[in-house]
Amino acid sequence: MKKKKSILLLTFAISFCSPAQTTMTDSIQKLEVVTVSDVKLKKYASGYKVTIINDSIINKSAQSLTNVLALNSNIYFKEFGSGMLSSPSFRGTNASQTAVIWNGININSQLNGQTDFNNEVASNYSSIAIRSGGGSVQYGSGAIGGSVHLNNRLKFTKHFENNLRVAYGSFDTSRVNYLMSSGDSKWTTSVGLSYIDSENDYKFLGTDAVNNNGQHNAVNLSANLGYFISEKNILKLYHNSFTGNRNLSRTLTTLTRDKYESDNARSLLEWTHLALRYHSKLKIAYLSEAYRYFTDNQTNNFTSGRTNSLIAKHDFEYHTTSNINIRSVIDYTRIKGEGNSFGMPFREAFSLTLILKQQLSDKLQYGLSLRQDYTSDFKSPLVGSIDAKYDVSKHYIIKLNGSKNFRVPTFNDLYWQPGGNLDLRPETSYQADFGQVFKLKPIHLAFNVYYIRTNGMIQWQPNSSGFWSPININNANSYGAELEFKTKHRFGMHQLNFNANYSYTVSKDIDTGKQLVYVPFNKANGTFTYHYKKITTYYQHYFVGGVFTTKDNINNSLFALEPYDVANLGASYTFTSNLNYEMGLLVNNLYNTYYENVALRPMPNRNFQIQLTIKF
Amino acid sequence: MKLSKLAFLAVLIAVIFTSCESTDDATELPVELPLGDYENGLIINAEGAFGNGNASIGYISNDLLSQEDGIFMNVNNRLLGDTSQSITFTDELAFIVVNNSNKIEIVNRYTFESVATIDSGLLNPRYIAISENKGYVTNWGDPSIATDDFIAVINLSSNVLDATIPVAEGPEQILAKGAKLYVSHKGGFNVNNKISIINANDNAVNTIVVNDAPDEMVFDSSGNLIVLSSGKNLFWEMPPVETPASITKINTSTDTVLTNFVFPMGAHPGLMAYENGITYYILNDKLYGLQDTDTTLPTTSLLDIELTSSAPFIYGMRVKGNTLYVIDASFAEQSDLLIYDLSLNVKLETLDVALGASKIYFN
Repeated sequence: MKKKKSILLLTFAISFCSPAQTTMTDSIQKLEVVTVSDVKLKKYASGYKVTIINDSIINKSAQSLTNVLALNSNIYFKEFGSGMLSSPSFRGTNASQTAVIWNGININSQLNGQTDFNNEVASNYSSIAIRSGGGSVQYGSGAIGGSVHLNNRLKFTKHFENNLRVAYGSFDTSRVNYLMSSGDSKWTTSVGLSYIDSENDYKFLGTDAVNNNGQHNAVNLSANLGYFISEKNILKLYHNSFTGNRNLSRTLTTLTRDKYESDNARSLLEWTHLALRYHSKLKIAYLSEAYRYFTDNQTNNFTSGRTNSLIAKHDFEYHTTSNINIRSVIDYTRIKGEGNSFGMPFREAFSLTLILKQQLSDKLQYGLSLRQDYTSDFKSPLVGSIDAKYDVSKHYIIKLNGSKNFRVPTFNDLYWQPGGNLDLRPETSYQADFGQVFKLKPIHLAFNVYYIRTNGMIQWQPNSSGFWSPININNANSYGAELEFKTKHRFGMHQLNFNANYSYTVSKDIDTGKQLVYVPFNKANGTFTYHYKKITTYYQHYFVGGVFTTKDNINNSLFALEPYDVANLGASYTFTSNLNYEMGLLVNNLYNTYYENVALRPMPNRNFQIQLTIKF
Repeated sequence: MKLSKLAFLAVLIAVIFTSCESTDDATELPVELPLGDYENGLIINAEGAFGNGNASIGYISNDLLSQEDGIFMNVNNRLLGDTSQSITFTDELAFIVVNNSNKIEIVNRYTFESVATIDSGLLNPRYIAISENKGYVTNWGDPSIATDDFIAVINLSSNVLDATIPVAEGPEQILAKGAKLYVSHKGGFNVNNKISIINANDNAVNTIVVNDAPDEMVFDSSGNLIVLSSGKNLFWEMPPVETPASITKINTSTDTVLTNFVFPMGAHPGLMAYENGITYYILNDKLYGLQDTDTTLPTTSLLDIELTSSAPFIYGMRVKGNTLYVIDASFAEQSDLLIYDLSLNVKLETLDVALGASKIYFN
């Protein structure tokens, strides 16, 4: 029965935090800006597919980061009930094989290796970029399927802008977002505050049950500052803190009473020195994550865990006259953990990265990179990547990349008591990706095919002592195709946009030939937006194919999930007096479809949200 | 002549009569009407994966020719629940304790048709024993609280809670003997070392101390209680904490320890079964047998259990006659049921059973 304890605690240790589906309309105009990670992200990923989700999509409605990505990218999400733990599967990989990068810093949990996408507030960010394919050289552990980049833009123009949004919706859900941005050519600051509170007591369609014990609330603060010390020296400070409190929803078969509290904070200080031939960036970051798990939300009995990470990073970039960029990154990280179930682990890691990028002609560019990590508690592999982009014509671009990537064992994997395995090795992965982009105004079409081989995937399973323990056991082959389509038409006062994504994903255990659990073969989404004068309406549709929940792919109702189609419909109207108001109405799950994306955890039935946004 | 004719007639009549009688006999013999689809076979309890709500019950006929998974769901057209911990049978009924759904499903043991559901008064229920039309259910309560563990007493005429009896931490298995109930306190999330003895007449509780982590219990053919305690094995603590495992025989008339067979350090058996005067247990994937007459633990094993799954984990064991049934459980895919002939020491069969299979019962 010890296993039960492990499982129960693990389930919760497996990074819960709180949801914070909030949004802040970002009224930042497209003025000259100094961006942070965006620039390097694109500059050193010419052979990769990078999809940018801009603020107009992020702020379409007050919604979670999970929803923004599920509806606008090829990433598939599993949510343990609405607002609960949300984990990604990117190109058929698992939840800890997608790296989340906040202003250039990897923020995946040190405890479980993943980021809870319901714990990040989408509207805090001016843009979200999705970089498909392996990225361990630049982004470290976990960038196997791809990486998701959350970027704050610092705007060095004279401005003072405020944006307040209040939303209220079904299941007693309130959201408030406030975003302020101010600055001039020398300094800039932005502050974002968001709050969500929800009873989350939706009905389970087709049953008499409602989603008991699903209440959650969260507060998120982000504050960013930029300052030109001199013409060549810029100081930037980024901060984000999140406090979430959520009960853990019941399932179809279990009434729950437990609760999970999380406190995550991260701060980043960056000094950039600009010179004619080189840029130098020194970054100091401090990240902390803490959780408390209560078996009964009425009592004060809990188990807890926390980690604190200090990162010092130097990024040096030199460009020659002959269109060659050379970059070196030195990174030192020290991580301390403390928790009821994993003692007081400590890790130091040092990494060295070299990147070369060359523009050979107007049409052809390529990149080469290498990285070696030295970690105090295990040996890390040497990783590298190669990528190239060739502009065949104005309308047709070819992109190619190949890389070796890794994911390090987490503190839970190594030190969980009982079960933690000190003999674990990092997971390693090889991947290749071939992309084609067709641009023929007004159509943009990207088509990618990829292959990922992952070795020694860490999996928890019961051992002969009766304890669950992780081992490097599974090897997987993932391959698939992705289609991304965008178009925009304008005639008179009318504007039509249509964006769609489709992915076909095969991800197989090499030993058994079976599809990995919770990887749908097919996933598609599309958004159709229509603007007319001050009216905007949109329709979103989302399809997810069936998934298996067992390794042997048992295909019956107890062990496999049905495919589902879900749609949302939204409309908004803008009216201007002294201030700029926008009234919006949103219908989620328009067709009142029953669906689960984690077994026996039904998602919400049809629901409504009304929102008011004021810009001043 | 006449006599012989008479004799012949008599013989004839006798023959006809007897044959008639035997025919009548045949039709009047109590014909074994089938009691349900699920008699004469094995019932496999499959916990499913904790938290995933995919508990199920499987049936395998004694000749192993027919097998059906998910019989509770197939018959009753609804999910069984989350983590079915154990099943206890009466002559007619089966009581399925569904741990993480905090309920007990009562079904007809041969048809598996639902009779009732007990879903109040339980918190982390583990096992049930039945005595005098009352059900006694061990409950951990909130597993993070050491002092809220209890036995729920359920009136089986109304299926409502009759009383709760507070007990020491982590009550696990429970067996009834007349008006007495024996409870092994494995300890829940912690480790305990007690056997509680409950008087069903007044709910008074006595305790006996045994080795750490008592779990499996059986009555032997003399009516003694045999308890398997796994011992503490907290190897991850600094410094590691270990206490020895043991098999304890308790006299159920006097409720005192008769014999205590203590294992050497490093040995922590977890599963036990009793058949034909032999207490079987599994240690490090080997089967051992302790004869009723033995005065020391056996030093040699009876059998090496061959495990072929990718993550071997022995989670269930029963013996009937000369047949050993072992479950190699998986919580991520189907489990294996291994069947051995103990007289020949050969594996007879390996069958797929449901995800998270844990216990074997004979129906």
